[in-house]
Amino acid sequence: MTSVAGVSISWPVLAPIVILTVGGLLIMIVDLLSRSASKALLYGIGILSCIGAFVMLLPLQGQSTTTLAGAFASDRFSWLFDIVLLLTLAITFLLSSLPKAEDGGSPGSYAALLVFCTIGGMVMAGANNLIIIFLGIEQLSLALYVLAGTGFPREASQEAALKYVLLGSLASGFLIFGSALLYGSAGGVGLAALRTAAVNPSGLFFIGFALFLVGLAFKLALAPFHTWVPDVYEGSPLAITGYMAVAVKAAAFAVLARIVYVVVGHDSVALVPLWTIAILSMLVGNLGAIRQRNLKRLLGYSSIAQAGYLVVAFAGVSRDGLNALLFYLVAYALTTLGAFAVMALLGDGSDSYANLEAYRGLHFRRPWPAAAMALFFFSLAGIPATAGFYGKILLLEQGLSAGPWGFAMAIALVFGTLVSFYVYGKVVWDMYSYVEDEAAQPTGNSLAPWVAVAAGALGTIMFGVLPQAFHILQM
Amino acid sequence: MLIDTVIFLPLATALVLMLVPRRATAAQKGIAFGGALATFFLSLTFLTLGVGTAADQSVPWISGTWVAAYHVRVDALRLFFVLLTTLVGVACVWAAFSYAQQPRLRGYLCLILAFETTLLGLFTAADLLLFYIYWDLMLIPVFLLLTGFSGTQAARRAAWSYLIYNGAGGLVLLLGIIALVTQTHTFEVGGSALNLSPQLEWWIFAAFAIAFLIKTPAFPFHSWMPPTYTHAPPPVVAMVSGVQSKAGLFGLLAFALPLFPHAAQTWAPLLLVLGVASILYGALAAMGEQDAKTLVAFSSLSHLGLVWLALFAFDITSISAGILMIVSHGLIAAALFLLLGFIEERVGTRDLARFGGMSHRAPRLAVMMLIAAMAALGLPGLSGFAGEFLILIGSWQTQPLATSFALISVVLACVYMLKLFQSTMYGPERVPHPGAALELRAREAWLVAPLLAAIVFLGVWPGWLNDRTPNVVARIHSRVNVAADLQVRLARIHLGPNVVARIYSRAHDVGHEL
Repeated sequence: MTSVAGVSISWPVLAPIVILTVGGLLIMIVDLLSRSASKALLYGIGILSCIGAFVMLLPLQGQSTTTLAGAFASDRFSWLFDIVLLLTLAITFLLSSLPKAEDGGSPGSYAALLVFCTIGGMVMAGANNLIIIFLGIEQLSLALYVLAGTGFPREASQEAALKYVLLGSLASGFLIFGSALLYGSAGGVGLAALRTAAVNPSGLFFIGFALFLVGLAFKLALAPFHTWVPDVYEGSPLAITGYMAVAVKAAAFAVLARIVYVVVGHDSVALVPLWTIAILSMLVGNLGAIRQRNLKRLLGYSSIAQAGYLVVAFAGVSRDGLNALLFYLVAYALTTLGAFAVMALLGDGSDSYANLEAYRGLHFRRPWPAAAMALFFFSLAGIPATAGFYGKILLLEQGLSAGPWGFAMAIALVFGTLVSFYVYGKVVWDMYSYVEDEAAQPTGNSLAPWVAVAAGALGTIMFGVLPQAFHILQM
Repeated sequence: MLIDTVIFLPLATALVLMLVPRRATAAQKGIAFGGALATFFLSLTFLTLGVGTAADQSVPWISGTWVAAYHVRVDALRLFFVLLTTLVGVACVWAAFSYAQQPRLRGYLCLILAFETTLLGLFTAADLLLFYIYWDLMLIPVFLLLTGFSGTQAARRAAWSYLIYNGAGGLVLLLGIIALVTQTHTFEVGGSALNLSPQLEWWIFAAFAIAFLIKTPAFPFHSWMPPTYTHAPPPVVAMVSGVQSKAGLFGLLAFALPLFPHAAQTWAPLLLVLGVASILYGALAAMGEQDAKTLVAFSSLSHLGLVWLALFAFDITSISAGILMIVSHGLIAAALFLLLGFIEERVGTRDLARFGGMSHRAPRLAVMMLIAAMAALGLPGLSGFAGEFLILIGSWQTQPLATSFALISVVLACVYMLKLFQSTMYGPERVPHPGAALELRAREAWLVAPLLAAIVFLGVWPGWLNDRTPNVVARIHSRVNVAADLQVRLARIHLGPNVVARIYSRAHDVGHEL
C-alpha cells in the first residue's frame, strides 16, 4: 500500500491492469526495435501478459476492496468480468494469429491496441465513479475505433471504422453530458454520492440518468441505439468482431450493473426506460437476424438480442439477478467466441466463411467444426444441456418473480427465443443439408482456433450440464 | 444405475458409431442394431418390478435459491412408456437401413439413437427440469432427420413447422415450469399436490396443457402434424407418431394432473371439447384423404383425441384404459408407418388412387398390413379394441355426451382404415413398375413382426398391462377428484343436457327464422 498525494493505492488490486499495461508497452517497444518482429512473438507477448494478469487476479477472488479513494473497486463482480475480458483477449490473439487474419499490416500496433482496449474494459469493470467510468469507456472505444479499421484496405472495414467513430463519439457525448447532470444533481462523482441523490431524485437526476443510459445503450447495442452494429460487425476483421461482441458488451454490462445495483438499488421508475429498450432489443435483434445471409451480421443482430436478454437479469434488482447476469454473460461469451473461432478456423482467419452459403453441407465435409458450430448456435438459442439454456432459466426466473415489467420482459424473451429458433436453426439446417458434389470453399485446419473452439465447447457443455460448476467461479 | 444405463445406452451407441469410419456401413449397422436391441432387453428387466414398487434414483444436481435433482424413476406408469420406446426403437433403427445410404447412414443412425435417448430420458424424468431438458432436446434429432437426411424439399418445409410449433410449445411449458418454481423453489416436485394460489395454478396448468396439446397433437394445434408425418422418412415418423406423440400425454399423467388437480378440473370441459374435436376432425379428414401416410396421420389425431377424452373424463376405468390406448396406439402407428414406408419404396407413390392390389404377389405384406389396420379400427382381439372399448365404457360414466360423439369415430375408423387396406391390397394389381418385387424382405418382415405380436398380445390380454397400473391410476384419480367432486358434476352438467338443450333451441330458432 503506497500513497501518492494523499491517495492510497493498493497495488495488488491494480496489478492485473499494470501487467497488461507493461505487456502492451513491451509489444510496442519490440515492434519499434525490430520492424520485422514476427506475429508469433508479438501475439505471444500479448497472451503471456494475459496469463500474467490472470495470475495476479487469482488472489483477488472473493475479496471486496476499493482503492484510489474509492474510485476503483475490486470485488466478486468485477473479478468475473475481468476473467471474461482476459479470456476474450487471449482468444482474440489466437484467432488473429491465423495466416489470413487481417491486422492492418502492422501486427505490433494491432496487438498493443488490443491490450489497451482490454485495459479500458477492466477499468470499466471496476469503475466506481463517473470519471473512471468515462475514462474506461473512452480507452476501450478509442482503441476499438482503430481496430475496426484494421481490415485496411478493404473498403467495408474503413466504412466500419468511420461509422463506429461517428456514432461512438455521439454516444460518448451523451454519456458525458449525462454524467455532468448527474454530478450536478448529486454534488459528487462517486456512485455512493449518486445513490444518495437517487433516494429523492430531482428532475436533474432523471434527465442525467436518462442521458447516461442512452450513452451506455449505444455501447451495449441496445435497440434503438443499435444501428451501427450490423455494418461495423460485418466490416471489421473477423477476430475484432468477435472481440467487440464479447468484450465491449461485458464491460458495458459491468458499468450498467454497478449503476443499477449501487445507484438505483431497487425497482425504480428510473429503470423503466431500460426495461423498454430491453424489450425492443429482443424483438429487433431476433427479427432483424431473420434475413441475414452473412454470419457476422447475423451474430451482430444476435448480440443485440442477447443484450436485451441480459437486461432481464436486472428485473428484480436482486442478488440472484446478479448471479443470473454473470452466468448468462459467461455463457454468451463462451458461445459467441466459439462461433467466431469456428468461422476463423474454417476460413483460416479470413472472412470466407462469413457467408452462410459456405456452410451448406458442411457436416459432410467437416463434421466436427459443423457439430461445434451447431452446439454454439443451440446454446445461443437456449436449447437444453447448453450453458445458454441454463442462463435463460435464470433470466426467466428473475423476470417472472419481478412484477409486470419483469413479466413483460419474460414474454419478450420467450418470443425472441422462438424467433431465434428459426434464425439459428437456419444455419444448422444449412450445415446438415446434403449437397451433391458442390465446389466447396476450402477449409483451414490450424491448431490455434481449435483451442478456442474446444474451450468454448467444453465450457458450453459443462455449464449447461453441471451449472453448479459456476459457483466455483463465484465464491 | 440400471435406469441410467437404459437411458444412455442408445446415446453411447451413437457416440461409438461416430468413431466408425464413414464407409464401414456393415459395422455401423451392426453396432446400431446391437445397441438398440441391448437397450430393449435391458428395459425388459423393469418388468420384474412388483406392482406398486418403483425403481428410483435421485442425485442432488443444482442447488441455489432453488434446487433440482437428477431424479429418474421407473414405476408402473413409466414402465410401459419405456418399453414402448425401446421396442419401437429397435424396429426404427433396423428399418433405417433401408432409407439411408452412405454417406448419410452413420449420421442417420446416430440421430435415431440420440432421439431414443431423449425419449427414454423424458419418460423416466421425475424432476421438472430434467423433464423439460429432454422435452426440448428431442426437437434437435427430429429437426436434423427431417432436414439433412431426408432430402426432399417438402420434408424440409415440414421440419420448420415442426420446429417452430414444438419450440413454441416448449417455451410455453418453460414459462409454466419457472413460474411454478418461483413458488416451490424446487424442480423436484414429485407429483404431490402443491399449495398454489388457484389463479397461479390455473395459469400454470394452461401453460402445461398448451405444450401437451401441441406435442400430441390435438385439434386445433395439429397443423404441424400432417406435413411432418407425411414427409418424414418412415423410421422417423414411426418414432415421432409411435413414441414422441405420447410425451404430452405422459406429462399429463406424471405431472400436470397430480400437480394441478383443481386447475385440471377447471380446464377439463375445454380439453374434453378439444379431445372430441380431435376425434371427429381426425376421422373425417382421414376419410377424405388420398395420401396413405396423411391418412394414417389423421387417424392418429383421432385416436389420440380419444386418450384426451379418457384422461379428462376423470374416471378410473377410462384413465387406466387411456394408458393401454397410449401403448396400443404407439405400436399400431409405428407398424402402420413402417409398412407404408415399405410400400412406398416399392410402388414409388403414396397416392391411393395410383396403386393397389398388392396382396396377390405380396401376401406377407398384406397380412401384416391387415393386422395393423384391423388393430387401428378396433377389431376385438387386437390391442386397439381393448383400449377403445374400455375408454368408452369408462368415460360414459362421467361424460356421456362427449362419449357419444366419440362413438361416432368407431364407425368412421372402419371406413378410413378399410379404405386404406382395400385400395392398397385388394382389387386387380396396379403398380407403376409391373414385375418389380413387391413382397417384404425377411428383415422388413422381422422388424415389424414384434410390433404386431405386441398388438395381438395386448389385445388378448390387456390385463397384463392394466393389472400393473391400478395404484398409479388410483393415485391420479383420487388426486383429481379430491375436493373437486362438485366440480366434476358441474362440468358434466355443463357439457351434458344443458348444451344439448341449447343446441336444440338454437336449431329451433333457426328453423323458425327460415
